[in-house]
Amino acid sequence: MKFFKGKRETDVAAFQEAPKDFHDLQRKLKASHDFHTFQFPDEEGYTISYFNSLVNDQKLQEHILAVIKNQPMRSLQRLKGDIPMEASKVTSDIVIIQRMVMAGSVMIQTKKADGSCLLIPCVHSVKRQTSIPESEYTVAGPKEAFVESLDTNLNLIRNRLPTPELQAREFRVGSISQTKLVVLYLDGIVNQQMVETVMQRIADIDYDTIVDISFVGQMITDNRNSMFPQLIDTERPDHLATVLSEGKIGIMLDGSPHALVGPNTIISFFSSFEDYLQIWNLGTSFRLIRLFAVLFSIFSSSLYVAVITYHYQVIPTDLLPILISSRGVIPFPPILEAIVLEGTIELLREAAVRLPAKVGSTIGIVGGIVIGTAAVEAGFVSNVLLMLVALAALASFTVPIYQISNTIRLIRFPFLLAAQLYGLFGLVICSAFILSHLLKLTSLGSPYLEPLYPMRFHDFKDSLIRLPFSKQKKRPQFLRTEDGIRIRKKDEARRSQKDIDE
Amino acid sequence: MEIKPNETKLISAFFVFFLMPGMQIGVGVLGFERIIAKEAGQDAWISIIISGVTINILVWMCYKMLGRGTQTLDLVAIHHDLFGKWAGNAFNSLFIIYFISITIIIVRTYLEVIQVWMFPGVNILMLLSIILILVYSFVVGGFRVITGLCLIGLIITSPLILLNYFPLKHAHFENLGPVLDHSFLEIMKACKKMTLNYLGFELLLVYYPFIKKREHSQKWAHFGVLFTMAVYLNSFIVSIAYYHQDQLKDVIWATLTLWKIADLPFIERFEYIGVSLWLFMVLPNICLGIWAASRTAKRAFGVRQRKLLVMILLVILFACIFLDNRIKIDLFNTISSHIGFYIIYVYLPLLFLWQMIVYKLRGHKS
Repeated sequence: MKFFKGKRETDVAAFQEAPKDFHDLQRKLKASHDFHTFQFPDEEGYTISYFNSLVNDQKLQEHILAVIKNQPMRSLQRLKGDIPMEASKVTSDIVIIQRMVMAGSVMIQTKKADGSCLLIPCVHSVKRQTSIPESEYTVAGPKEAFVESLDTNLNLIRNRLPTPELQAREFRVGSISQTKLVVLYLDGIVNQQMVETVMQRIADIDYDTIVDISFVGQMITDNRNSMFPQLIDTERPDHLATVLSEGKIGIMLDGSPHALVGPNTIISFFSSFEDYLQIWNLGTSFRLIRLFAVLFSIFSSSLYVAVITYHYQVIPTDLLPILISSRGVIPFPPILEAIVLEGTIELLREAAVRLPAKVGSTIGIVGGIVIGTAAVEAGFVSNVLLMLVALAALASFTVPIYQISNTIRLIRFPFLLAAQLYGLFGLVICSAFILSHLLKLTSLGSPYLEPLYPMRFHDFKDSLIRLPFSKQKKRPQFLRTEDGIRIRKKDEARRSQKDIDE
Repeated sequence: MEIKPNETKLISAFFVFFLMPGMQIGVGVLGFERIIAKEAGQDAWISIIISGVTINILVWMCYKMLGRGTQTLDLVAIHHDLFGKWAGNAFNSLFIIYFISITIIIVRTYLEVIQVWMFPGVNILMLLSIILILVYSFVVGGFRVITGLCLIGLIITSPLILLNYFPLKHAHFENLGPVLDHSFLEIMKACKKMTLNYLGFELLLVYYPFIKKREHSQKWAHFGVLFTMAVYLNSFIVSIAYYHQDQLKDVIWATLTLWKIADLPFIERFEYIGVSLWLFMVLPNICLGIWAASRTAKRAFGVRQRKLLVMILLVILFACIFLDNRIKIDLFNTISSHIGFYIIYVYLPLLFLWQMIVYKLRGHKS
């Protein structure tokens, strides 16, 4: 295991023995065909080597080769002064040489074999244009999303929060990939202890290749086995900027078009950013509708199973004939019926996600209409259940955060089984199990069920409901911010004192 | 032996308000009306108030006892302080047994409700195991998690109070008269019967060190007991207004039976939902009881609480399987409520006096 401890920058490439000396390094590099080495401007001149695939050709021509060609031979130190490129370096440290060359620097040596060389960063990287957010799309509000380039993402955030308090701490994670990771927070607002926790956990990451921020998310969350996500993945710079100024911590990774945000409470997974873009009473209503939709989506099919299997007395007499006519011909017990139907929906969903968008809509039609109708007509499932399951699936799509919608998808199955086992009582037992899990869960050390427990009345103002901005005078208390006040101005002359016609 | 729990495990004083009813209100409220109405008829509401007041006095005594020492005390520390290690541990064991036995009553009675009202042929062993696993998953979370359960349990079950609307439509409040038709002795007898429903406040002696600003928690404890009293009072008055007192003497689960008459356009027979949801009212009782037993044992004998927890759960499992018919359950119920009665009304005041005398003699600051 000791090969795989690439935490610090200094044990770069510790997955292999670090090259012993310069020749060893050169031998390794030359083994790749995209590594170019040549003498310039003539046989007696500098030795220039670089990875063709990493270096920007145009820059190399204009800023390096052109300068060298027009000048007599000089020492590397002087040459460094002549070439106007930032962060160039003269060094003989093998580790630094290797890292910079692998990051796209041009290496220049003189004939003097003292091992030192001049490294000039000259990176060529492929970047995507910022585009419209897809998984967190909102009708109103800004339409830009993060891209894979960390620099672009940081730029998006810095533009939104032009303050020196916005601090970015850089890390390298992954013993092979050496991916650049940035922890973002607003100094003076954020709780320093939380930042320490996050940085400690990031420093403890031990894996070879970190490709996406979700890797990091899984490695630094409090409970790594929980189905409930504790950190939010967001692709919206406006979202990140807002929560940073609340006192949360953001984490971004080079190569990942998402940022991780924490700590969170369970409510934050059900609140869409759009709630803040609307007037508060509309925002509140839609948030409540969404919560109701989630509850419906979890409980509807299992309630059906519980009631039909055990507690048919609960159904009012007027409703009973409808159920009987719908279920009378079905040869299966309710649980089997429900599992078949839920399974079908899951299948459709999974298929629709994996397929390209154009084919995906066909799947919807084939699955939803054809299979659904056929299943009912064939007498496999009842109309009522089909309606319930379809509604539940629809309701689960209202969840704005992708990760928790997966949780809700899966959590329905234990409830189904519990309903089959003990009916309504089974549902309650299953909910109690989940409650016991949620009560124990923390997100970066702060309780998951806040503001309900521990009870913080102030935080209710932005939880199930969202009160107007003028009421949100303080930052959320569970973040234990250093500066808890958001609105400093006192209320100007209270409006209620105004009498009629004054 | 450490007495101070970690700072992060503490709860704020406010939550004592939820811990009180969390332990006191449980299965009892579903059927206590008949028991006290047998003794004092329509005047039993006076007994509910009298018991409530005495319990408040006892809570005050507990706070006095806990606050008297120079360090944060709990039951085990008080016992060790007053009686020395060995005799103290004997009393501690008594309390452990007492906590376990009230938990057994609660579990067993709730299982009976489920058997009678929902699943007559249910496999008790399996249902019991599932419930105990559930309890385990709460108790391993520690005191904070159990407090959260008390709070959320109360929130989830509180809408059930709206069901009172249906019996109140047919209420006859003249059933409450004539007032004071029963002798003082009868009312006191009802008070004694009422005790079992108030048991649980004495857990304060165990969880006191877990409260953040202990001095400020006393008022919340009193409010909590008053809240419990209000809930019992409400249930009793609704029941006596709906049933006639002679009829009430024959209804075993009066509150539960009242849920039956709820009639909504989309749900009938509400008691199925009510009995299921009531788990959230009973679970805090069970969890707190087991937690208190294991915590006291840990403090007294210095064994790991996790081990004790598993042992206690097994004891409860076997006890509940052993108590398989009504007669045994009733017997156990009577014995335990007697023990409970003497512990809170005799032992606690005596302990209070004894501590006062000892500290006077020692010349502690009072």
